[in-house]
Amino acid sequence: MRRYISLLILLMMILSSCKTLDSFENPLNADIHELTFMAGYKPQANLPFVGVYVAQEKGFFKEEGLSVLIEHSPGSGEHLQLTATGKVQVTTQDAAILLKRRADPGLPLVSIALIGQKGQQAYAALKTSGISTIQDWKGHTIGYKGTPPPDLFALLSAAGLKESDVDLVNVGFDPRLLTEGKVDVYPVYKSNEPYLVRSWGYELEIWDAADYGVPTLGLAYVTSDETLRTQPQQLARFLRAALRGIQYAADHPEEAVEIVIQYAGPETNPDHMRFMLETELVDLRSESTAGNGIGWQTEEQWRALADMLQEYEAMPLVDVQQVFTNEILKAAR
Amino acid sequence: MNNRHSEIAAWVMILVFLALWELGVRMLQIPPYLLPAPSVVLQTLIANPAVYARATFITVGEALTGLFLGVLAGAVLAAFLTLFPGLENGVMTLAILVKSTPLVAVAPLLTLWLGFGVLPKIIITGLLTFFPVLVNILSGLHQIDPALMDLFQSWRANRWDIFWHLRLPSALPYLFAALKISAPLALIGAVVAEWTGASGGLGKTMWMAYTNLNLPFLFAAILILAVIGAFLYRFLVWIEKRTVFWVQPLQE
Amino acid sequence: MEIEINNLQHSFPGKPEREALAEINCQIKPGQFVAIVGPSGCGKSTFLRLIANLLEPSGGEILLDGKAPVEIAAQRRIAWMSQSPALLPWLTVGENVALAQRFRPQVSQPGLSAEEALRRVGLRDDLNAYPSMLSGGMQQRLALARILTMDADLWLMDEPFSALDELTRERLTIELLELWRPLQPTVLWVTHHIYEAIRLADRILVMSPAPGRLVGDIQVNLPYPRNEPAPAFQSLLLDLRAMLGQVSKQIAL
Repeated sequence: MRRYISLLILLMMILSSCKTLDSFENPLNADIHELTFMAGYKPQANLPFVGVYVAQEKGFFKEEGLSVLIEHSPGSGEHLQLTATGKVQVTTQDAAILLKRRADPGLPLVSIALIGQKGQQAYAALKTSGISTIQDWKGHTIGYKGTPPPDLFALLSAAGLKESDVDLVNVGFDPRLLTEGKVDVYPVYKSNEPYLVRSWGYELEIWDAADYGVPTLGLAYVTSDETLRTQPQQLARFLRAALRGIQYAADHPEEAVEIVIQYAGPETNPDHMRFMLETELVDLRSESTAGNGIGWQTEEQWRALADMLQEYEAMPLVDVQQVFTNEILKAAR
Repeated sequence: MNNRHSEIAAWVMILVFLALWELGVRMLQIPPYLLPAPSVVLQTLIANPAVYARATFITVGEALTGLFLGVLAGAVLAAFLTLFPGLENGVMTLAILVKSTPLVAVAPLLTLWLGFGVLPKIIITGLLTFFPVLVNILSGLHQIDPALMDLFQSWRANRWDIFWHLRLPSALPYLFAALKISAPLALIGAVVAEWTGASGGLGKTMWMAYTNLNLPFLFAAILILAVIGAFLYRFLVWIEKRTVFWVQPLQE
Repeated sequence: MEIEINNLQHSFPGKPEREALAEINCQIKPGQFVAIVGPSGCGKSTFLRLIANLLEPSGGEILLDGKAPVEIAAQRRIAWMSQSPALLPWLTVGENVALAQRFRPQVSQPGLSAEEALRRVGLRDDLNAYPSMLSGGMQQRLALARILTMDADLWLMDEPFSALDELTRERLTIELLELWRPLQPTVLWVTHHIYEAIRLADRILVMSPAPGRLVGDIQVNLPYPRNEPAPAFQSLLLDLRAMLGQVSKQIAL
């Protein structure tokens, strides 16, 4: 019998750990929720995320009568699937990828507000490498994340280079590849990697595709066709609060960063987050938002991006008008 | 070299390794985002006790719960197959199918269906751990001293008596052998599962730290995992000595 | 217990089928101490296992007190002992000895208590020890003690002492007789030591090589204790050796 007692003790310990685990689920959010927001990536100071964090912490959602559950995608596209199936009501997404997913495999997703009026994608080289113009890229290794992005080809084309003039290499998220000399030009998000690389003591040369006439768009708040049809009221209230949150962050950046750290945890550097916020704020406004408020989107913007994607990536044709709507923005005013 | 000596030797080796690591980083001036020194890692750990404690609690909880369920499933299945030996082939085929499915493919699916809570992690660690347990215990339940079997049969003991008094105790050493394999697996499984989406835990901390290229934070989490893994193993050996006292352990 | 064996035959399945025992007929009176000797592989163990109800015979019948072995075994009247002491290493000496009683015995009168049985074999002081702490000889004594708790009237012993060294074997042989005498169960004792057979038994059955047959049935009328030097002992030894020599090349002393 004795020997079974030790086993029993082991069992009890395990069972008790099961029970107490439940209380550690979803520590930051309430049990009941009416709307689920899933950020398209981990908690950090991307502008649409910040708007939601601030709206949550400053009570903007509450004032709109919303109880919002904030989740984060681990970065493999789960947020798109969950939004398409209606499990998540609002998510965020990069405009180009939204277009692509709409075209193939035909995810029924639509942008309700375009927060990043210009995209954050850019390319960087170490100042010490001596590469100062795109023409200098000739004969060097250029990294890309995922699949070779159309804006890279557009950039090369605009600078008069051919794909064969450079050596394209698939890289993941790791700016150390640049600092350790494994690639000559690295694909960055203007609001992200440059901060890290500079904090390590390196200066960068950055090329923004937009400067070369290549159309780019940034992050948008995204929902599904179904949710748009069935819950426009909720979406409007959500958007109103989130946009308020973004405005608040623009006016009180320090406080906004503190709020972001609450979600991002001590693994994250607040100065890094400050940099991210301020960089993305730059592209919050454009000609379209001037008269219509932040988040406004035009058919021209989307059309330009779609055309570029079609030209350089043979993306199937997509009806641009299906991809975005300003209805919720209007209702949110 | 007796037990005491070999333990001291192990500790000395660890300390030497750490010292070399520390010296290497300092002398070669390796930046922390490439390789943090042990002193920095330790500092990070000490500076954030609540964060790590909570994360550890979640991951260990997931691992232990999954381990418990996996062991239960494996043991019950093994016992079942002993009482109904005709089903062994069919059940084992299914079990091997489950085992061969790569976790990396299953984990994101589970997260998609069941959310970012602890349930998918528990299921994954359960799946990971149940196969070694099933195979080992099945082995143990069959490996009975034939002389003991003769004895029980000469007493006309029924199937249940043979199971309870003979097969079960004979299988215990095998259970522990399986546990010693499965426990570390469960820990790894919980961490890997967290990488596919988690609201908390050491895996999530590691992922967040890495994507921020905050290596000291990452390494501190790894350190905790290593220590816990070692502790878990030691603990199992301790319990094994008390429960299965009649067998000399095959490996330490 | 009276044993009656009629036309017992046994084959083991396989390609080809292996016949272990050809027709065996014999009768054993209650209280007889019968040794079974024969060359290796002659089927003596198989013979014993059939009687112990560990195997189902391919042909013929075994009657124990007129009943089938299954029924008798259910009453815990058959004690089985083999070369391996068959002790459960996770139970203490005392628990091992008491084990026989644990399986809902249908006998109205169980045998000796575990303590008493241990005292008889001289292991009373080791009640709370574990089998791994005992020597080979002590472990076999333990197995004997276990038998004593059963009040069995048939003891089937398959070479129980052959794994032990010679001195221990001799000593245990004497102790066994002392344990047997007050109870006088029927004993079937398989051995390949002719010497041991003569020491112990009042009847020796000789088996031929496989398929085993009974080729010899010798009464041993020597008085106990049986001394090796005694001329009667020696002549019997020679006779048996010769008999066995005829049926096989292998003779153990």
